[in-house]
Amino acid sequence: MKPHLTERELIEYEFKLASDIQAEKAAEHLAECRQCREYLEQLKRKFAALDLLREEIKVSDDLISQVVEQTPRPVQPRVVSFRKPAWIGAAAAVLVVALLLVARLGEDVMEERKFAKGPSEPAEKLRSELTAETQIVSAEDLAKDAATRTTFALARKEKEAGKYLERAAIGEAAADVVPEKPPFAPASAIELVVLPRRDKVQLTIYNSADLTLVRERRNLTLKKGWNWLQFMWANTLIDPTSLSLELLENTDKIEIQQLVFPARLRELGRWLIRSETSGQVPFEITYFTSGLSWRAFYMGTLSQDEKTMRLQGYVRVGNNSGEDYEKAQTRLVVGKVHILDQIAELAKRQYPYGRPEVRVDFDKDLKVGEELDRSAWYGAAFGQVGQIVDELRRKEIIKEGLSEYFLYTIEGTETIADKWGKRLLSFEAEDIKVESLYKYDQERWGSETIRFVKFANDEEHNLGDTPIPNGEVKIYGQADNEGHLSYVGGTSVKYIPVDEEVELNLGPARLAKAEPKLMDFKTDNFMFDRRGNIAGWDEIRTWKIEITNTRTLPIEIEITRGFGTAYWTLQFDDQEVSYEKHDATHARFRVNLEPRSKRTFGYTVTTYHGVREETLAEKN
Amino acid sequence: METTDKSLIDAHRQGDKTAFEELLRRHGDSVLGYLMRMSGNREQAEDLFQETFKRVHEKAHTFRGTGFKSWLFTIATRVAVDGLRRRRRLQVVSLNQKLDCANGSGQESGAVVVVDNSCEPSQEAIRAEQTQQVRQAVELLPAKQRATLVLAYYQQLSYPEVAEVLGCSIGTVKTQMYRALRTLAQRLPDISGGEK
Repeated sequence: MKPHLTERELIEYEFKLASDIQAEKAAEHLAECRQCREYLEQLKRKFAALDLLREEIKVSDDLISQVVEQTPRPVQPRVVSFRKPAWIGAAAAVLVVALLLVARLGEDVMEERKFAKGPSEPAEKLRSELTAETQIVSAEDLAKDAATRTTFALARKEKEAGKYLERAAIGEAAADVVPEKPPFAPASAIELVVLPRRDKVQLTIYNSADLTLVRERRNLTLKKGWNWLQFMWANTLIDPTSLSLELLENTDKIEIQQLVFPARLRELGRWLIRSETSGQVPFEITYFTSGLSWRAFYMGTLSQDEKTMRLQGYVRVGNNSGEDYEKAQTRLVVGKVHILDQIAELAKRQYPYGRPEVRVDFDKDLKVGEELDRSAWYGAAFGQVGQIVDELRRKEIIKEGLSEYFLYTIEGTETIADKWGKRLLSFEAEDIKVESLYKYDQERWGSETIRFVKFANDEEHNLGDTPIPNGEVKIYGQADNEGHLSYVGGTSVKYIPVDEEVELNLGPARLAKAEPKLMDFKTDNFMFDRRGNIAGWDEIRTWKIEITNTRTLPIEIEITRGFGTAYWTLQFDDQEVSYEKHDATHARFRVNLEPRSKRTFGYTVTTYHGVREETLAEKN
Repeated sequence: METTDKSLIDAHRQGDKTAFEELLRRHGDSVLGYLMRMSGNREQAEDLFQETFKRVHEKAHTFRGTGFKSWLFTIATRVAVDGLRRRRRLQVVSLNQKLDCANGSGQESGAVVVVDNSCEPSQEAIRAEQTQQVRQAVELLPAKQRATLVLAYYQQLSYPEVAEVLGCSIGTVKTQMYRALRTLAQRLPDISGGEK
């Protein structure tokens, strides 16, 4: 027995790759060897899988029309003559031929366009016209062509006529009815038809929660019938439970049926869409994502006399969502949002389904404190996309109030790539009247004197258009006449509503000091009860406060003193200093100091204890 | 009487656009089929199709008069190889592009793609899965092997015709064909449904 045929020999035999001699030998062997025959059958079955790709592929009429339309006049071989008279003659001839060709092409193009457009009349009318046309042309051509040659025009027209009839018949019979039953979509049987880019995208970023609403507009190419739209969010922080798809046109012809999260397929969802039309349709997809954030910060520059300030507000938008957002209209929302689940946690779940009760949607789970104004929420979340302005000038941030929220819209669009941050100017106000103030309050800040800058978010201070979001603020002062700046201090501010005053705590001051010293302490006016026990007394303390201003500017310092009781009286030894009762147990007094000066004043505080408290009450 | 490809090309060269359209209709399906199997993507195949017939139009004067199909597929092969090479060279992987998606093709995360499927459940689903496996197996072949296989097996060109299209010897074509089949024997799914 001869050795068995190898796999190579069998493949070569089966696909006629072997030479005639080798093929003959292989055939002989196969006739005798059952084992090789079986192996060959196995191979045949294996290669039969190739036939799965033998689907009939048809070129569409549109594609043919497109190719024909893109084809200019045929390229003629170039004829070059070296003799001048011949060249002139050839040029003249070419010119004449070209003119004739142009005239002929013009006719042909018109005719082609008619054909390319296809039948526009009702099928019956078209059928009769085309049949008639075919007969006439045939008769004419047959008469002209004595040699019974079929011209290209005739062949084409006959074929076109047939084609149109066929097309019309198909149109009449089938009428492209969309089946009622939706198709089954196994994971591996997905046909990619289009991969549209975002046409527009709008981001609404909340600063109080890790929450961003994304609205994307895309033009999708739908086929007539059932379509699956697939959305994937792998490696992003998109909350799949918040996905929503909205049709912007052809709402009467296209129906979004359901959103499916296929089993065993992670991080993708599919919408089932039934379309009675084909072509491009604009859609809007909305969802929540995590990882986008924004925060405000401010830079204030005090004038040399520290009576006015220039304030610049900025917003910094950061993107750690795993997704690039190109040319996004960006809106920033100030206001507290209460969410039941962190979007980042929802995004990390293995499958988006399984816990419907934790679903975050617009109606149920988003609350603003206890007083959510839903219309405001929808307004904030789904407001109109502003006009996109791509100019190089500085972008304006438009502010709008929406109930509990305040919405800042950055003018134009911004590209916010993943892992990138972007700083944008929010507002700029000049000549804001400010009050520089130093405060001394031992109970709050110990022995430090704290510097404050005070102003109000109102018209008088060249502000007051919008609330000022919470953020960090840094204050600079003029270091010299040349405009060099020095850092004065920084702090964080809370949300400042319109018409509210704000005091910026710039931290301990080094050039303004207040030092209180207890100079004397005594008790007096003891009162006794019937048994001779002390029932009341006064404590009298004499204080001296030394205030030092080493600055070159006059300052005002506010000193707050606490007495530990609500029963007290105060006497100053300096007539120029007066106090105001800050609260029951505290007195507050303001002292002005000239540049580079020192001032000392004293006061005596008497506190009343026991039954002496009643004496004071009676006096008042 | 059927007009020959040569007479259509001649008519086209004389400026008869209907002749060019006739050529398109005559050979369009097989060219598109070839390009689809080469590129694995209808959209790309249609682009290559347009480019192919643009070149046919431009190079019409180079047609020698015999073997139109070979001449046409030679152009189509060059267009396909150029197109696929250019596509590979220009392929920009977006930061948000994922490669581990369900159907194995790189798609933008968060992107919406339209998928169309008119299959029925069960058998059709399995068949679709197998078709996808076969498509992938063919796509993974080196370009020359793939071109040889598609021309010889699907377009049913003879080996000498394939050699003419690919501009190589018949021996080379057979070697490429064998290598393609040897690779496919390992990668093709078993569609016999358990029959032995």
